[in-house]
Amino acid sequence: MAKGYNDPAMEEKFQDRYFHATTETNPEFIKEIERLGRTHAHMCFQCGTCTGSCPSAPRSSYRIRKFMRRAVLGLEKEALTDPDLWLCTTCYSCADRCPRDIAPTDVIMAMRNLAFKEDIVPRNFLKTIQLIYKTGHGVPNNDANRAARLKLGLEAEPETTHKYPEFIPGIQKILDHYDMKETADRILSEGEQ
Amino acid sequence: MAEEIKQPRIGVFVCHCGTNIAGTIDVEAVKDYAATLPNVAVADHYQYMCSTPGQQMIQDAIKEHDLTGVVVAACTPRLHEPTFRTATKEGGLNPFRFEMANIRDQNSWVHMHDAEGATEKAKDAVRIAVAKASLLEDLYPKSVPVEHAAMVVGAGVGGIQAALDLANAGIKTYLIEKSPTVGGRMSQLDKTFPTLDCSQCILTPKMVDVGRHPNIELHTYTEVEAVDGYIGNFEITLRKKARGVMSQDEATAKGIVGGGCNGCGDCEAVCPVIKPNPFELGMAPRKAIYIYHPQVVPLVYTVDFDSCVKCGLCVEACGDKKAIDLEMEDTFETVKVGSVILATGYEIFPVEKKREWGYKQFDNVITSLEFERLICASGPTGGHLVRPSDGETPMKVAFLLCAGSRDNTGVGKPYCSRFCCMYSLKHAHQVMEKIPGCQPYIFYMDIRSFGKMYEEFYYRIQNEGAKFIRGRVANILEDPKTKNLHVYAEDTLLGRPVDIEVDMAVLAAAIQPAADTDHVRHLFGVSCSQDGWLLEAHPKLNPCGTTTAGIFLAGVCQGPKDIPDTVAQAEGAASAASIPIHMGKVDLEPYFAQCIEEKCAGCGMCVNQCPYSALDLIEKDGRTVMHVTEAKCKGCGTCGGFCPGGAIYMQHFTTPQIVAQIDAFLLGGEE
Repeated sequence: MAKGYNDPAMEEKFQDRYFHATTETNPEFIKEIERLGRTHAHMCFQCGTCTGSCPSAPRSSYRIRKFMRRAVLGLEKEALTDPDLWLCTTCYSCADRCPRDIAPTDVIMAMRNLAFKEDIVPRNFLKTIQLIYKTGHGVPNNDANRAARLKLGLEAEPETTHKYPEFIPGIQKILDHYDMKETADRILSEGEQ
Repeated sequence: MAEEIKQPRIGVFVCHCGTNIAGTIDVEAVKDYAATLPNVAVADHYQYMCSTPGQQMIQDAIKEHDLTGVVVAACTPRLHEPTFRTATKEGGLNPFRFEMANIRDQNSWVHMHDAEGATEKAKDAVRIAVAKASLLEDLYPKSVPVEHAAMVVGAGVGGIQAALDLANAGIKTYLIEKSPTVGGRMSQLDKTFPTLDCSQCILTPKMVDVGRHPNIELHTYTEVEAVDGYIGNFEITLRKKARGVMSQDEATAKGIVGGGCNGCGDCEAVCPVIKPNPFELGMAPRKAIYIYHPQVVPLVYTVDFDSCVKCGLCVEACGDKKAIDLEMEDTFETVKVGSVILATGYEIFPVEKKREWGYKQFDNVITSLEFERLICASGPTGGHLVRPSDGETPMKVAFLLCAGSRDNTGVGKPYCSRFCCMYSLKHAHQVMEKIPGCQPYIFYMDIRSFGKMYEEFYYRIQNEGAKFIRGRVANILEDPKTKNLHVYAEDTLLGRPVDIEVDMAVLAAAIQPAADTDHVRHLFGVSCSQDGWLLEAHPKLNPCGTTTAGIFLAGVCQGPKDIPDTVAQAEGAASAASIPIHMGKVDLEPYFAQCIEEKCAGCGMCVNQCPYSALDLIEKDGRTVMHVTEAKCKGCGTCGGFCPGGAIYMQHFTTPQIVAQIDAFLLGGEE
């Protein structure tokens, strides 16, 4: 609701802040997350052990506890459109230590899946899909790395699709099954995500 | 059994229990159905059968319809069987001619969303109950005399209080303690919240009292070996562990005039063996002949035979008192008591299992109980709180709440340990008071300060300058050079991860039942809940009793509780345990096995099966037959189900009664 400030920054600052618990939330969101993530996310009691354990938290704005809260409350849009969703390294430290035996990492993975269905994916992740499709690697080998490997007495190419490119079509078949390459190409060609 | 055969006339009463039953089950339909059943003389329903008018309905119907049996379809026998038995009796019938059909807890509550199915199930339950009620017989409870004595197992503050109450009520009380002194955990504490009075100062008068009360027979360094008998008549065998030292009374009894241990400590001074003192959690030494601390009751030394080298120096030092006997052996004694209170307490959860907090990996991570000893004036450091790594005074101390409590991972404990919030507040106060400038950081999820004056205590500690960080600690790492600790958590209220460097971290470790609890409960036939705490008879309405008649619970053995709650429960348990003793006799439910002597072959196979040693073989009229000691029989039916000759008759659960119930169920009410 516009309040008549002739300044977008002021409009933003003084917008309505109430959490409208009955209208703003999607009660199906937590069920969908639990179905995809196979973890009882609704039992989170917000102790913060996850964020305290998170290697990403001290060096970014990523707060996994906040995503757990959004899951419990059904704040679907807020969770799926927050770019921080993609800052989890999936190290599973939070899952190791959660006193409620929840796997917060799997909640994040479920949210990423739901976001992908709505075309909400950072460009670098989409580029990674393209690279995997093309080479079988998210981070393919390069000349500097090849030189380093040779210096260490290793073969230039590792024992992967780099050495056995005949297996790349298999990887492509898997990605095609989920239309990942197609989706990535489409979104990237549309410009901004 | 030789009753006049009379056509059964049964009255059926269906209770609405407000909407508890009637909200799901069509009580009118169940009543109408009951009226069609064979032998049913009258059927009715009422809003609350347990109310005075409800009971009056039963009494009136018995007279009006000349009933031989009563069925009430309502809640559970555990809740209201006594009520309806009394009503049956007041109506002029033997009280055991009452049968209950549970259509609430096992029906309307669990089938709340299936009204039709629940109504059909209720009809089945009523039909089955009527079938049994038609065959019920007059039975008479047996009363047995009660021994005018009680036993309390465990002499922590709960056991001490229970024993004092019983003894002051004029009951001879045996107080049994496995360690060499009374006092328990409370004697290890420095101060108590929220009043901050010295724990030992308020406990020692009670310790002294149990040591010299004329009605208390104190047995320290003693364990329960075996339990026999039943309410009113428990025969309990005690193992008096070889202490290696005689008290003055024991010496006098042996004719050593003026002998026995007077606690002088000359023996300890010469003993060459040094071991960690468990009372100080291993942070101070003791000798192989030792007392835990100067205020022990009784003041008698104990030899640790596991570490004693039997050099005999102590015997020499003791001289004419001749108190020490290095060849002493365990002795056994059997005592008879009417009721028993278990007060076996707790121990600290092995918090090193939660590896992320570094207990037993990093020197300066300690438990709260270790903190109590380190801050206590009579402790190993004389009350100077020091870092274990270098003896320095800590200036920043982290307190970690819920260290293993409220933990559903399977490593920790799912429950709240209930007193850690409060003692951690107290610890924060103590460091600020004793070490000027010392900053406590309390890492918490919730502060549970629910007792009288507890919230006010929380206010006070916050006002004194403790810093509260709302977040559970993720992990602790040690700086290997300084041995300082980095505590990692999220300040969830700020939404930022925190890394606080402290000199010392104190884990408010979860508690768990004392190691021997499971052994003790098996001896006394007491159940435990899922997490190992001893199970009360009812969590709200019978918190001191157990399902075994004559056995009561006091203190933390029943579940985590602080000192005020422990003392209150101990007083409750003492009161409950004194009831049968003061009554002088108890009625036993007459569900005894009976031997049908004509059928008994005297094989004796049942005698070995009986879990309560209630059966014997006797000679009668030239034959060997089985005989039941009714007071010992619990009516479990093991013998009755086992007897190859069908010679055992289970009162109130006879074969014809049970077969009639099965038939009624399977045949759907058809004759």
